[in-house]
Amino acid sequence: MEATVLDSWVLAEFGTPDALVDATRQMREKGFQGMDTYSPYPLHGGSEALGLPPSRVPFIALGGALTGMCTALAMQTWMNTYDYPLNIGGRPLLSLPAWVPITFELSVLFAAFGIFFGLLALSRLPQPYHPVFESDAFRSASTHGYWLSVPQATGQDATAVMDQLKSLGATQVTLVTGEKE
Amino acid sequence: MSPPVTSVRVADIERYTGTPKLMVPAFGLGVLGLLATLAGYFATDAKGAAAHSYLLAFSYWAGISVAFLLMLCIFHTAKAKWPIVLRRTMETAASAVPIFILLLLPLLLMVKDLYSWWPGSPLAAHIQGIEAEHLSHKQHGYLNPTFFYVRQAIYFGVWVFVSWRMRSWSLKQDETGELDLTVKQRRFAPGSLPFLALTITFASFDWLMSLTPMWQSTIYGVYYFSGSFLAAFCVLTIVTTNATGANLYGSVVKLDHFHNLGKLMLAFVAFWAYTAFSQFLLVWIANIPEEAPWYGLRIFGAWRPMSIALFFLHFVLPFFILLSRNLKLQPRKLSVVAVYILAIHAVDLYWLIWPALTGTDGPSFHWTLVTAFLGVGGIAVGFALLQARNRFTLPVKDPYIAESLRYVQP
Repeated sequence: MEATVLDSWVLAEFGTPDALVDATRQMREKGFQGMDTYSPYPLHGGSEALGLPPSRVPFIALGGALTGMCTALAMQTWMNTYDYPLNIGGRPLLSLPAWVPITFELSVLFAAFGIFFGLLALSRLPQPYHPVFESDAFRSASTHGYWLSVPQATGQDATAVMDQLKSLGATQVTLVTGEKE
Repeated sequence: MSPPVTSVRVADIERYTGTPKLMVPAFGLGVLGLLATLAGYFATDAKGAAAHSYLLAFSYWAGISVAFLLMLCIFHTAKAKWPIVLRRTMETAASAVPIFILLLLPLLLMVKDLYSWWPGSPLAAHIQGIEAEHLSHKQHGYLNPTFFYVRQAIYFGVWVFVSWRMRSWSLKQDETGELDLTVKQRRFAPGSLPFLALTITFASFDWLMSLTPMWQSTIYGVYYFSGSFLAAFCVLTIVTTNATGANLYGSVVKLDHFHNLGKLMLAFVAFWAYTAFSQFLLVWIANIPEEAPWYGLRIFGAWRPMSIALFFLHFVLPFFILLSRNLKLQPRKLSVVAVYILAIHAVDLYWLIWPALTGTDGPSFHWTLVTAFLGVGGIAVGFALLQARNRFTLPVKDPYIAESLRYVQP
């Protein structure tokens, strides 16, 4: 196997969310990049400690909402005013107030789609395989463990990084290597 | 998410003694405003304009005070811990309710120039034929002076009682720190909510909806509540932003609290639009002769531009501004938006009230609009500050105050 098709990470488990956030911040201040945190539930201060940029999901949601709004207005105008004009109670054929409920619903629906699929796409999910799955201990990330991953050049000695993580309070550290995505 | 703004500790906070600096000018402005408005009513021909201006000011400020009471009880009902640092402001604003009993008296003086159903009202001349019969037979049981007085007594009885209980327990806890007092507040608040909801609903029917006695809308109370509740969040934001200084709670509030206030403002901008549109859509789509004229007056003719403007300025503009996360994390800028919403809320009440005065002539301005607004506002704010004199500006011995100050965004 050649090193170029392989990716490596140092994984470190911490006992508490606070220890994880603290260690993440300190590792970032030491200059490590491309790290990620894993916890069974949303982590307070996790994204700040990782130094992540603001999420792009709100803009996708806004885009979805505006798309839904335009779709609904165009659809109802086309159907009720041009394609099949129907006189309902003597109201004008282009009755904007009557269209607001549908417009609202479609805006919400498209915004929800945008959030759901946008989040999946931005997180590159679903991900059937990832090298960190090679580590059995890492399974605790979905029940009770708080993990930090630090990218590591494949083939290089990871002892220094592992020692640093241990000194920051990691209860166990491990090196995983697997095929690039 | 963010560190506390300063390193002030709750234990170091003492009773606040700086209120007279604001209270005296507020009372001064209030008295001048009221005198000018009364002069406008008794000494000029514009009796209707002065009466409607006073009603606008009264329902604006009383609505905010009662909305604060509802807000306080809702947070207690939800056992919410994050707003505890803000709670004394809610209690103080809600305890301004008794002054509105006094402020109701000028309204009762002007009542004949407001409500056409009031016996001897000069406005009754417009109501003739079948409408007059309907009014005298079907509605007389509700819209008559005796029952009107009785209802006002019930509303203010409920509001004064609830605000007094909530606040006195909270103030007692400042002294004793008894945990039992928290239990009492949390038990009393949910029980009082149905009464508060019913009283503010019927108060809006009495004060505002009966300006057009032939027109009824069951959601009207919610409409009035939604605007007032939104305005109360705006007042809370402005007060919290400016409460920085010795012994003021603004110095221990976190950015997370402002973020939440901003989010609640956004939510209630949307809630106002939802309520306003619900009411409009049902009337518009049914198009029944009894209901349609109220909206017909407002959406056609001289009032049309204002109705359209209200949709954009009360909903679309603040909604999109408040969507920004960055804005909600900047208390000063959020306060500017809050001031804007408070202004547009006054326009909203004007839109409810003024067409009853001018009809198809459209919007007009009268100087008593300003004097009444400042008069009622000055007295109400001054009275609230009087309640805050020599008190702690936050519930210092609440068992959850530490949790509230440690609050982080979920």
